[in-house]
Amino acid sequence: MKKEDVKICIIRVGGTNCDRETKRSLEDLGVKAEVQHLNRLVRKGSLQEFDGLVIPGGFSFGDYVRAGAILAKSLTARLRGELKLFIDEGKPILGICNGFQVLVEAGLLPSFNGISDYPEAALATNIPIGYRCMWVYLRHENFGRCIFTRRIPQGNVLKIPVAHAEGRFIFPRGEANKLLERLLENDQLVFRYCLEDGSPAEGRFPENPNGSFYDIAGICDPSGTIFGLMPHPERAFYGWQLPDWTRMRRLPRFADGRIIFSSMIEYITRKF
Amino acid sequence: MKSLYLRRNVPFELYEVNILDADDEELLRISEELGLSLNLQEMKKIKEYFEKNGRNPTDIELQTLGQTWSEHCFHKTFKGTIKTSEGEVINSLFKTYIAKAAEELKKPWCISIFEDNAGIIHFEDDIAVAVKVETHNHPSAIEPFGGAATGTGGVIRDVLGVWAEPIACTDVLGFGPLDYDYNKLPPGIKHPKYIYRMVVAGIGHYGNNMGIPTVNGAIYFDESYVGNVVVYCGCIGILPVKKYIKNAKPGHRIVLAGGRTGRDGIHGVTFASLELTEESEEESRPAVQIANPIEEEKLARAIIKIRDLELASSITDLGGGGLSSAVGETAHKFGCGARVELGKVPLKHPHIAPWEIYISESQERMLITVPEENLDKVMEIFKSEEVEATDIGELTDDGRLRITYHGYLVADLEIGFLFSPPLPQRFAEWRQPRYEEPRFKEPRDLDEVLLKILASPNVASKESVIRTYDHEVKGNTVVKPLCGRYGGPSDAAVLKPLNDSWRGLVISCGMNPKYGKIDPYWMAASAIDEALRNNVAVGGRRVALLDNFVWGTPEKPDRLGSLVRACKACYRFSKGFGTPFISGKDSLYNESPLGPVTPTLLITAVGVIPDIRKTVTMDLKNPGNLIYLLGKTYPELGGSEYYGLMGFIGRSVPKVRLEDAKNTMNQLTKAIDSGCVESCHDLSEGGLGVAAAEMAFSGDVGVEIWLDKVAGSSSLKRNDYVLFSESNSRFLVEVSKRNRERFEEIMEGSTYSLIGRTVKEKNFVVYGLDGEEIVNLGLKEMMHAWKRTLGG
Amino acid sequence: MRYIARVEVSLKPGHSDPEGETTKNSLAELNYPVRDVRVSKVYTILLEASSVRDAERMVEEMCRRLLANPVKDDYKIRIEAAE
Repeated sequence: MKKEDVKICIIRVGGTNCDRETKRSLEDLGVKAEVQHLNRLVRKGSLQEFDGLVIPGGFSFGDYVRAGAILAKSLTARLRGELKLFIDEGKPILGICNGFQVLVEAGLLPSFNGISDYPEAALATNIPIGYRCMWVYLRHENFGRCIFTRRIPQGNVLKIPVAHAEGRFIFPRGEANKLLERLLENDQLVFRYCLEDGSPAEGRFPENPNGSFYDIAGICDPSGTIFGLMPHPERAFYGWQLPDWTRMRRLPRFADGRIIFSSMIEYITRKF
Repeated sequence: MKSLYLRRNVPFELYEVNILDADDEELLRISEELGLSLNLQEMKKIKEYFEKNGRNPTDIELQTLGQTWSEHCFHKTFKGTIKTSEGEVINSLFKTYIAKAAEELKKPWCISIFEDNAGIIHFEDDIAVAVKVETHNHPSAIEPFGGAATGTGGVIRDVLGVWAEPIACTDVLGFGPLDYDYNKLPPGIKHPKYIYRMVVAGIGHYGNNMGIPTVNGAIYFDESYVGNVVVYCGCIGILPVKKYIKNAKPGHRIVLAGGRTGRDGIHGVTFASLELTEESEEESRPAVQIANPIEEEKLARAIIKIRDLELASSITDLGGGGLSSAVGETAHKFGCGARVELGKVPLKHPHIAPWEIYISESQERMLITVPEENLDKVMEIFKSEEVEATDIGELTDDGRLRITYHGYLVADLEIGFLFSPPLPQRFAEWRQPRYEEPRFKEPRDLDEVLLKILASPNVASKESVIRTYDHEVKGNTVVKPLCGRYGGPSDAAVLKPLNDSWRGLVISCGMNPKYGKIDPYWMAASAIDEALRNNVAVGGRRVALLDNFVWGTPEKPDRLGSLVRACKACYRFSKGFGTPFISGKDSLYNESPLGPVTPTLLITAVGVIPDIRKTVTMDLKNPGNLIYLLGKTYPELGGSEYYGLMGFIGRSVPKVRLEDAKNTMNQLTKAIDSGCVESCHDLSEGGLGVAAAEMAFSGDVGVEIWLDKVAGSSSLKRNDYVLFSESNSRFLVEVSKRNRERFEEIMEGSTYSLIGRTVKEKNFVVYGLDGEEIVNLGLKEMMHAWKRTLGG
Repeated sequence: MRYIARVEVSLKPGHSDPEGETTKNSLAELNYPVRDVRVSKVYTILLEASSVRDAERMVEEMCRRLLANPVKDDYKIRIEAAE
């Protein structure tokens, strides 16, 4: 399908607040992006009109109960059949920050055995505690499964900001190592927090900004078409968004987050 | 005994207040018992009005007057008459000083100043920028989290209240020393550390949840803030000029939208116009509002949609005074009357008396007026965002405010009377405090002194606070609050609000409470200079200013005397710099059992930069470059961080020399535009020493400086004075060697001196007036001193 | 019948509780001999059910579906008849 025919849905509810810049990023790449309120999407039953879905950052429903939990249940309860169809057709779903929390709470990630009724992982309160807005380095760990990072060579380091209070990725205690192995086996690990040179953060603050298990910053499902990450690629789309662009000889046009969106679009145009 | 309150025979709580029979003492008793905070002069004027009408007022009528006439809503001090001890008679501080400069400057880019919820200036093509800064000191003293959060929420609504979409927030905070002795705290006053944590959390909570980046701010510590916490919240928005719609007419419906109305926030404004006492905490509980940023996020979406479709005829926010202010002001502004049915107002819980509904300050509410034919569409938009909206009445053509409750008439006042409170006549007297210029020997170890100043709370890194605010959301923050390799303190924030334009918005601030202890005139001048310096340092120009006064009780002549002095400086320097005030707010009565607040004036500066790609940050870029100091250094250490460290205040407060200052700033702007400025930092607290150190460790580039090259240094005679003088209008600039001639050519005609160079070694070295090495520190060591105090 | 369910959601033993840890440190600063602080969240739910057992079943399900994340949370349920 042609790029200009691609239509991406950016879903929002009360408290979603990164939809505008996410839309801007997608549109900059030449596709159509529509911000749709969940109520409208449900009422119109129009999810299938779209070729991809983004759950953007924010505080959906005030992050009451747990970050992302209410939107997760709302999505699965109100769009269950449609969402399943969407996923089965191989249409990509991207969850950024709050969107990642939603995907995990909805059982769509890591989704070892298909969509899970209960969360298989959690994005817990940061250690050290508190909301933190800062730039981090991410090492690309995926070997090609994740369609959102296919253009990034394995081992490459990206610089993208995080801003959250609940981003500490954890598995159930006692099963963590077993599940990590499974994650690696399935090539579901996508990004890990690291140092500038790409060496692992190994849990050290501030390189690992939230105490995430195994420095995990982003994972995909076994099919590679559902991807969630805590960092915000839409805030690292243009060169002038970089925190240190005034130190550079020449202002770069783009920053590291762009490739995630462009890979998503490339996948769609090839597949459909 | 005659009864002052008569319950009306209606099926709800409504009292008639017998002011017609009340003598002076009883009038004051009524004011106190109903929490009106009106003085005798005001109560008498009300009595007179009702005598003429031949009836007694209802409780809701009196409450409405109490709210509308409060200092918070009407700014009586700034509008009233002041006689000074020098025999001057000032008829309105506001008109005489604050607004006058703007009137005289007549800048064509000022679209709406001092007349609406926020000041509006032109940005580019058909896009304008709206700015507002508010204080929320009293609520934050009682409940720091909620107070600070609702302060942010309130100022965001102010910006929505001129049809602008919020794009950034600012916060400037003042706390008591964090190590204040617990045992010295009077009852009812919370420890500065607690207040600090909760205020910061409250501001982050609101801005982060709403998805508005908090991009600029400052934190000051002062003993006087122990009892009087200072919380300034600012918001900036953008709007298409032609969507700035104000054409409400009789017959238009009045629609209340957003959160429900409850008993929270009753008497917030009258409470803000009182001094805090030991009992304030208990008494004021109901005055504290509860914050719900998600509600406001939805409300904002709906408002912007309604704006874009031009469905409404006016808008205002519900802040201080609640419905009473919003309805009254809307009717007043458009020369209308209003009819409101309070029974329609959606409530959080039943059994709220009509007067409470009318003055409640429950958060997240806006009022719009809508032509009848658009009403359905407007309601549909609110519904689609899951925002409750109710048609509660209409504008009328009779100039009266008529309030009904379930059909019963409960208030009937002339709008004209509502907006003509008697203005006070006050007396002001300012006496120069008798601080002496200290005499002490120059310390031998200036390394240690510099490290101590870097670590002093006012200078130290605020990173631990800044990182808890989302300053990146919306993806338009070009210069963030922390810059360079190691989180240096940016002079100003730069935003790129439009996708298809490189034009940037530059936001900065200035505040120097310490200078105010010596002379509020030079404090105000310095604050303006500092706000401008910060703006110009990154490339900003065409600056508009906002003033926010935090002062003590204006009935006390010395407090008012210092306020008058500050206002005089505001006029002179706003006019002189050609930078008009476009909006402002005053918070008076900041007094506690520990005494009055140190007079504090925050100046917020909003400038533009034609192309953000020309922006300059403060971190040193490369070794092998030249370091210039722009401006002249004077022996001005009064109120400085250095004197403070030595245990003195001093007398030699920094002054502003207008012509020199303007010259320096104008030339610097040209130099930045020419592209030959690698980095630039303004000199403020801690003077040359601190500014140079910050530039060095933020960029991880070493530096060598020669004090004998500093313009003016010969008259200072001491290394410590040259290093730490806080003379205004000075900048440090890094220029590459190949641009030396070009830079000096541009700076021709202003005072500048080549004082040093950047080097490969990661050290900070200063040579004294005699050429000897007086400071030699590692960059890491300085940075750690700077970051340790408040945590990195 | 109407029942009131009181649901307490807390972190499973062994999971770090940064909020509790921070609170503990803060209380220690105020010179209290505090050894440990754990934070939990309490929901008070008024619901319709045919019996206590029915109510229990529903609240149990609520916990598993929304109120708790089984990866990190434990929950306790107490149910009583409403007035």
